[in-house]
Amino acid sequence: MSYRIAKNLDSALEALKEKDPATRIVAGATDLFLQEMPARLVDVSSIEELTAIEEIDNRLVIGAAATHARAAASELIKGRAAALVEACLQVGSPQVRNIGTLGGNVVNAAPAADAAVALVALGAKAVLVDSSGVWREEAVARLYSSYNCSALDGCTELLVRFLIEPCGQGEGSAFRRFAARKALALPLANAAARLKLENGMIASLSLVAAPVGPAPTRLIGTEAAILGKPAGEETWLLAAETAAEEVEVRGSLLRCSAAYRRHLVGILTADALRAAARRAAVSQSGSLT
Amino acid sequence: MPTGIVESPVKIDPRVAFQSPEVWAKVTGKAIYGGDLMLPGMLYGRILRSPHPHARIKKIDIKQASGLAGVRAVLTGSSIVQKPYGIVIDDELPLAEAVVRYIGDEVAAVAAVSYEQAAEAARLIRVEYEELPAVFDPAEALKKGAPQLHAKFPGNIAWERHLERGNCDQAFREADIVVENTFTVPPIHSTYLEPTVCLAVSDPYNGLILHTAVQSPDQVRTIVARVLDLPLSKVRVIGPVMGGGFGGRVYGNLKLYIIASLLAIRTGRPIKMQLTREEEFLVGRPLIGAELKLRMAVRSDGTILAREADIITDNGAYSAQAPWVSKTLSERNDSVYQFKAIKTKVRLVYTNKVPTGQYRAYGNQAANFATESLLDMAAAKLGFDPLEIRLKNCVRAGDVTVHGLQLKSCALADCLKAAAAEIGWHNRKEGRGYGISAAIHSSGSVVFDKNFRGAAALARLELDGRVSIFSGEQDYGQGAHATFTLIAARALGIPAELITIHTRDTLASPFSIGALGMRQTTIGGNAIRLAAEQLREKIVQTAADMVNEPVIFEGGSVKSASGQVIELPAIAFRYYSLTSGLTLVGEGKYVPAESAYDKSGYGNIAVTYSFAAHAAEVEVDKLTGEIIVHRIVAAHDSGRIINHLAALGQVYGGVTQGLGMSCFEGYLFEGGRVANASLADYRIPTSLDVPAIVPLFIEQDDPEGPYGAKGLGEIVQIPVLGAIANAIADTAGVRVTDLPITAEKVFLALSGWECEA
Ligand SMILES: Cc1cc2nc3c(=O)[nH]c(=O)nc-3n(C[C@H](O)[C@H](O)[C@H](O)COP(=O)(O)OP(=O)(O)OC[C@H]3O[C@@H](n4cnc5c(N)ncnc54)[C@H](O)[C@@H]3O)c2cc1C
Repeated sequence: MSYRIAKNLDSALEALKEKDPATRIVAGATDLFLQEMPARLVDVSSIEELTAIEEIDNRLVIGAAATHARAAASELIKGRAAALVEACLQVGSPQVRNIGTLGGNVVNAAPAADAAVALVALGAKAVLVDSSGVWREEAVARLYSSYNCSALDGCTELLVRFLIEPCGQGEGSAFRRFAARKALALPLANAAARLKLENGMIASLSLVAAPVGPAPTRLIGTEAAILGKPAGEETWLLAAETAAEEVEVRGSLLRCSAAYRRHLVGILTADALRAAARRAAVSQSGSLT
Repeated sequence: MPTGIVESPVKIDPRVAFQSPEVWAKVTGKAIYGGDLMLPGMLYGRILRSPHPHARIKKIDIKQASGLAGVRAVLTGSSIVQKPYGIVIDDELPLAEAVVRYIGDEVAAVAAVSYEQAAEAARLIRVEYEELPAVFDPAEALKKGAPQLHAKFPGNIAWERHLERGNCDQAFREADIVVENTFTVPPIHSTYLEPTVCLAVSDPYNGLILHTAVQSPDQVRTIVARVLDLPLSKVRVIGPVMGGGFGGRVYGNLKLYIIASLLAIRTGRPIKMQLTREEEFLVGRPLIGAELKLRMAVRSDGTILAREADIITDNGAYSAQAPWVSKTLSERNDSVYQFKAIKTKVRLVYTNKVPTGQYRAYGNQAANFATESLLDMAAAKLGFDPLEIRLKNCVRAGDVTVHGLQLKSCALADCLKAAAAEIGWHNRKEGRGYGISAAIHSSGSVVFDKNFRGAAALARLELDGRVSIFSGEQDYGQGAHATFTLIAARALGIPAELITIHTRDTLASPFSIGALGMRQTTIGGNAIRLAAEQLREKIVQTAADMVNEPVIFEGGSVKSASGQVIELPAIAFRYYSLTSGLTLVGEGKYVPAESAYDKSGYGNIAVTYSFAAHAAEVEVDKLTGEIIVHRIVAAHDSGRIINHLAALGQVYGGVTQGLGMSCFEGYLFEGGRVANASLADYRIPTSLDVPAIVPLFIEQDDPEGPYGAKGLGEIVQIPVLGAIANAIADTAGVRVTDLPITAEKVFLALSGWECEA
């Protein structure tokens, strides 16, 4: 096995030039080490461009190799995309958060990966570059091809960073999950919301829940049902009901029944909306949280 | 949010608080565990296991495996001399011969120069199977026409017991109310941190040496010698430090030891074998799963009259300790209250699943969950406070229970009162649920072997003036060595620092039945006390002879009437010189009085009994069913506490495991396959899930135990289950009767939805 630590983007792309199917990008390896390890690994976790967390031209720029721990501790993200902080804080355990990365969370393509769910709700875009140096931008939600399968070619294409439009005045976001224990447990379900309030009404929103489909899934029906409605308990209850009705979920022996998962999606959706609206209201009144 | 371990109201008395220096070796990574052991020329063993729950072995082809580079031996059932064995029932073979009975059954074994080569060779063994119909549900296994597992046990019943004491039918006729329900408990693994590992060494002169950490090395030695047809004196078990056992490793993993020994004998080379975590779940003999159908007869004044039980325990494919566990599970709990009559039917049933065994309290935990739940249902029906109905019926000192247990000391009522007061039973927080539960457990069981009721120990004065204690009892992290040190120090009147406890070598220590039945402190401790007392007498005698005048032994040294001080090394040297090489040795033999224990099992089964009452404070989120356990108060009557530090540790750990059994853990099966055979999917509580635990010790002297002490290690886990179940039911208004009580089950009960599979 060869293990190469890329110092910069060029050397990483160089290593991927061969388009060798036995070569894989690795960051924290918290997902990869559970699978059969490929023969050649290119470690991208020390490339500066991939680890930075900054705000450029009024956009949040988060390196794909930023760890959950760093994202969770970032004041910048907390103020502009709180859902992501909440999601990263609940991944695994401190050890996993200290090395697991946002990019790995998305490319590993687990249907209910916590950070990925928050990223999709926030409308994050992924910036990708392939080994021949061609750059492209893609919505995170479109990086999934099927269950546990990324649309990204892990042998040739590098996820460099995420771009998020920060929550502005009147906007807020939140993330909620439910798991069988307080740490080290994949969620039975999770949900994230981003919304904008105008005069107490929901002016725009994005609602995501998982595991509903192969990718973090937008709850289109629920979004439509509550758009334009006042931010309040009645609306949240309607959202809970609509979401639970709307989703197609599966049950599993290891996690829970489909019926319970469906119910949880409703509860978590309402909880996320409630928290996002609270943040939106606070941001309107001036102070960012 | 739960706050984890809180400061205990127990004031740690420095005179009864000792930490063995071994603890530091562990936390600094210096302790030697089985996994660390290496010997020159050592080979690695691997086992090929059955992928089928039930199948006939048609053919095994080992040609390719034997030909692989580095492979030194390949064993199959037909290539070795096989002898059926077991702990209670001889229903196992070292390697399956004609039939495999569960997924994981040992079919072949390989020794090779590296672990990888051994694993590769095991993969290369070709086994042709003919699949047989399998049965997974014990109720199905009992039906006519069900697939049969063992020809010697028709109907798949491995063991059964029908027992009646008093007139149960009459008691039910006299009852004002009858409550009944069925409770289920899945198999539960004790999830010790260190997977089982052994290093087997065989040579013609010394015989077989097994290096393995196990709770009962002497019993392992006896069984291994018997199965391999070796003279007992040619088998020795030496224990490295043990990474947890919790009753799940009384016998370690016998099959692993036997196979490793066979490979060592065959190759003449040391053989190292270690179970993977997945194998631990498959073959690590979890606590037996059970279904308990219970009925309880109660009078309207709250007097408990009788209890009727129909219990089915799910043995899995082989029996291990399951008959004993089934017996304790179906019986011990009856002695918590003054039942006038009981009627019990318990059947241990073979299924094509993981063979089961024991975990910390011999199934008394499951009985506690069921009975204490039922008692709360009775209390609710009668409008009685759960605390009051327990205080009205609980056993007291001097009582003889329905099974004939004689309670010489018993502070159960005080435990109940103390736990209730500390949890705030009469001063409840809004939105919280409260539950209480009581338990009894044998402290120093004497019925494992009627020819071996007690324990022996040796105390040896070394030439340097230090004292070595030799005992067959085991310390596997529970702090037995520290407690033994305190007992010996007290009996000798010397500082604890001068004492070293040696327990891990069957060649050096007296035989012991091992760390089970809460006998370590009560029985093993008494033997150590007696050995130390005898050594003390011999020291005084030798010193008196040296100075030819009366002496007293005080403050760690001996003084004569005329004021001479005779130090311990001088006394040791004197005896050594007089005998040309012997040292002063005190022998301790503690043999509890023969108990009047009749054929039906009526009578005293232990030296004494420990008691406990736990109270829980929980919160349930009605929207999701989420359970938040806030506090558990654990009030214990373990007599006079010998070592406060170790005792607190036992309570914290045992309560945490009890919480795991209550709300988190349990095997999940897909047919005969264990669906959650990993620590990712078999979910034990994390530190964040552990509530505030408040230990309370109601200290009273027990007349039998050393310095008034009784056992604590097993009972700490028992009442947690009933307390949590009752607290959840108290606030949720619904009762979940199958463990673990998860958020989903609470939610489904609350919503009245049908549970889908
Ligand atoms: C004990 C444990 C608990 C866990 N708990 C959770 C949890 O609660 N919630 C949760 O969501 N996840 C959890 N995980 C999963 C995992 O930690 C996360 O998905 C993590 O974010 C993966 O990141 P990584 O850097 O370790 O990825 P890696 O393992 O390094 O990589 C994963 C995949 O992504 C690819 N990849 C990585 N970086 C890039 C890149 N920049 N460009 C292209 N491809 C890339 C790799 O080729 C690989 O296919 C847990 C894992 C463990 C071991």
